Amino acid sequence: MTELLIIFVGALLVNNVVLARFLGICPFLGVSKKVETALGMGMAVIFVMTVASVVSWYVQYFILNRFGLEYLQTIAFILVIAALVQMVEMVIQKVSPVLYQSLGIFLPLITTNCAVLGIAVLSIQKEYGFLETVIFSLGSAGGFTLAMVLFAGLRERVDLGPVPASFRGTAIALVTGGLLSLAFMGFAGLVKG
Amino acid sequence: MKSSAFSGGVHPQDFKQFTASLAVESCPLPEELVLPLVMHIGAPATPCVEVGSRVKKGQLIAAPKGFVSAGVHASTSGEIRAIEPRMHVNGSRMQAMVLVPDGEDAWADGLEGAGPNELTGDDIRDRIRAAGIVGLGGAAFPTAVKLSPPEAKRINTLIINGVECEPFLTADHRLMLEEGERVLDGIEILRCLLGVDRAILGIEDNKPDAIAHMDKLCRKSVVEVKALPVRYPQGAEKQLIFAACGRTVPSGGLPMDVGVVVQNVGTAAAVSDAIRKGRPLVERICTVSGPGLVRPANLRIPIGAPLSHLVKVCGGLRGRTTKILAGGPMMGMAQAGLEASATKGTSGLLIFDETAAQLRPEGPCIRCGRCVSACPMRISPTTIAAYSRLDMIDAAEQNNAMDCIECGCCSYICPAGLPLVQSLRYARGAIAARRRRV
Amino acid sequence: MLSAILTLGLMGLLAAVALGLAARKFAVETDPRELALVEVMPGANCGACGYPGCGGFAKALLEGKAMASDCSPGGKEVAERVAHILGVEAVAPEPEVAVVLCQGDNQKARVKYLYQGLRDCVAAQALAQGPKECPGGCLGLGTCARVCPFGAIEMTAEGLAVISRRKCTGCRKCVGACPRKVIAMTPLHAEVHVLCNSHDKGAAVRKYCDIGCIACHICAKTSPGAYRIDNFLARVDYEARQSPLEAVPKCPTRCIRDFTQGYPEGSRFAPPVVPLHAKDAAPSP
Repeated sequence: MTELLIIFVGALLVNNVVLARFLGICPFLGVSKKVETALGMGMAVIFVMTVASVVSWYVQYFILNRFGLEYLQTIAFILVIAALVQMVEMVIQKVSPVLYQSLGIFLPLITTNCAVLGIAVLSIQKEYGFLETVIFSLGSAGGFTLAMVLFAGLRERVDLGPVPASFRGTAIALVTGGLLSLAFMGFAGLVKG
Repeated sequence: MKSSAFSGGVHPQDFKQFTASLAVESCPLPEELVLPLVMHIGAPATPCVEVGSRVKKGQLIAAPKGFVSAGVHASTSGEIRAIEPRMHVNGSRMQAMVLVPDGEDAWADGLEGAGPNELTGDDIRDRIRAAGIVGLGGAAFPTAVKLSPPEAKRINTLIINGVECEPFLTADHRLMLEEGERVLDGIEILRCLLGVDRAILGIEDNKPDAIAHMDKLCRKSVVEVKALPVRYPQGAEKQLIFAACGRTVPSGGLPMDVGVVVQNVGTAAAVSDAIRKGRPLVERICTVSGPGLVRPANLRIPIGAPLSHLVKVCGGLRGRTTKILAGGPMMGMAQAGLEASATKGTSGLLIFDETAAQLRPEGPCIRCGRCVSACPMRISPTTIAAYSRLDMIDAAEQNNAMDCIECGCCSYICPAGLPLVQSLRYARGAIAARRRRV
Repeated sequence: MLSAILTLGLMGLLAAVALGLAARKFAVETDPRELALVEVMPGANCGACGYPGCGGFAKALLEGKAMASDCSPGGKEVAERVAHILGVEAVAPEPEVAVVLCQGDNQKARVKYLYQGLRDCVAAQALAQGPKECPGGCLGLGTCARVCPFGAIEMTAEGLAVISRRKCTGCRKCVGACPRKVIAMTPLHAEVHVLCNSHDKGAAVRKYCDIGCIACHICAKTSPGAYRIDNFLARVDYEARQSPLEAVPKCPTRCIRDFTQGYPEGSRFAPPVVPLHAKDAAPSP
């Protein structure tokens, strides 16, 4: 039980996917202009990351390892992730067209999101069991959502002020992201490894 | 007798020493009186006399239009010279009736008073409406409408506003000192009209003589005099209700939602005149003051007196005039000149010279948060102003911009000199326009 | 090798079947032309057409609510392409540009009070009808410049708005934003304009502005038919055959401007060279 909690908190805060591992920067910068959109994206990523990690785990241990096809790991995982993202896209387009419009190009880009692939591969590398994989990917996805929503809130506030012309837009966003990353470094040492 | 004050607010110097001890003087009639058709909140009045007709003092010259409206009465006897657009204290040219006095100041016939006990509640309301009485504290809301709350709202407390928290203004102060009986009579009429047992008269601490005087007068009545700590805007409706009886008016709500009706002392005195003497609202006390004036005074002015005339009566301008305010320095309307004339709600005319009022350089917002601490309505002026500047009206509405009472505390306290009230007014105007369209 | 191909192949097939079924269940109707339409549009999302962005315009076109020529920034080119996709006739819109009908900057026009507050024309207008004595003149606080999606409006150092005839696409956003209604839409081919917006009598205008129209009628007399005097204000009749050029040097207050000779004083725009918009030019003989 404690082990699982450590894995969860570690993935959520200490080794935050975006702010400590620096994976998934593309949607982090692209979808964080408004808090609502960031939250929507975060929900989509939680779903994709968790299901993809679990399915990939099964694929690794019951197909690839069984037939000695470990070298196909990257391609197989991408196949799983791509299919899942397509599914999520279709559902979102039907259920919430507004969210679909606001996410725009970033929804299919979850496929190429290194964070999703990264977490799937990391679960295998760390030789986690099934339950541990679930907790690990939930924690990582939660951390991703947390970082995005915090960042979106910061960006909304920063844009209200008189940002110098040369810093407006992406520049000040990157500076803010760096500062947020520094803040999260404060969690280092909370959980070992 | 002290009670808890509201959160926020500011402490400007009160500058009342210029006129606090000066007895109210009568103001000589000017060469012409300009009476705008809208001196109140609500629909403009419709003229009911022709150009060229002779009218008597107190005669109805424009009738109210609809329920939320008030009529206009001739402030003196004379001739209606014209009905044309004239400069209003709000800065735009609006339709007004120009009355040239004949010097006789003769009251109209048939203005009969009655003892309030002889009249029914509806009679009293009709007379108040017929007298064209509006809130004399400055908001100018038609009094008869305020005294007709819907059945569902049960009123149990009447609060009378003798606070006069604006710096420089001493009109209500002098009214209470010199005509306290009239004020008390009006309070009693209102109290019986509303059928309430509890009436509270709130007066700010910086008027100890008025507090003592009214306290003595009210000893034989159920009216309770409450001395309130000095803080601007103690005289604002919602803040006064909280300080006087501890009730909080909900966001977007009105005093009647907490069972309260608030009236100004001047309005109470006008109600007394309307019932006892049958006289409509034709005059009011106005404090003409400021360092840019030769001789500050409290004047009893006829409604419609040109601001230039008031300045002349007070000895004229002194030094280089840089700012003219109709009302108090916190919420008064800046004037581009002395072209406009006093309306029912003009409680003061302030003239400032270059030593007292200068252009203030504007700096950037440093998020110091002083405006948030100072706001008596507990909203965040800096956030709403930022949204207002970026035209993000939805976000401004979500941040409760409509709760703003435009008291001016935020602009006053801002160290960068930012025009916060202007940004808030812009946002509120945009939200109101949007609501009207839907 | 074979096992690799088989494994991936089977996985792919499974995913394809699952997606195919899901696609049928979660199908959303979209017109393929919509995407094609958005592709040919300028993409500025300026709203000149009256619809929310280029996407909104595309939807309105397909619903039959909008016309191909409604996109003024796109001009003839976009109207033709849109018409082609929809399979209808293209009607080229008359190209228009916005002009600020005022030259009264703070050196030439008087103010009734010193304004302190938000540098926004709408906010300033709310205070006693604006700081300028002239009821119709440009307030120079830059609201129009901020609203222009194409960066076509500049504010001179002396507080006057000037619109670049080259950059203006006729989207009309500035016209709506100006509280004084001093910006007017004019045909692109018209080079001469009377830059004044005050209907006050000549004597009154003279008191508050050095360069306002005093309705002396000299322009109408010099070029009969080219000018219309309406309520103490002269205006060029853009449809008239008579050229308004002759009257330009005769105007006593110099309020008539020939834009081929240059923009109002203080502007940094270079004088326009005819034709202004290459895409709207007639083919050379």
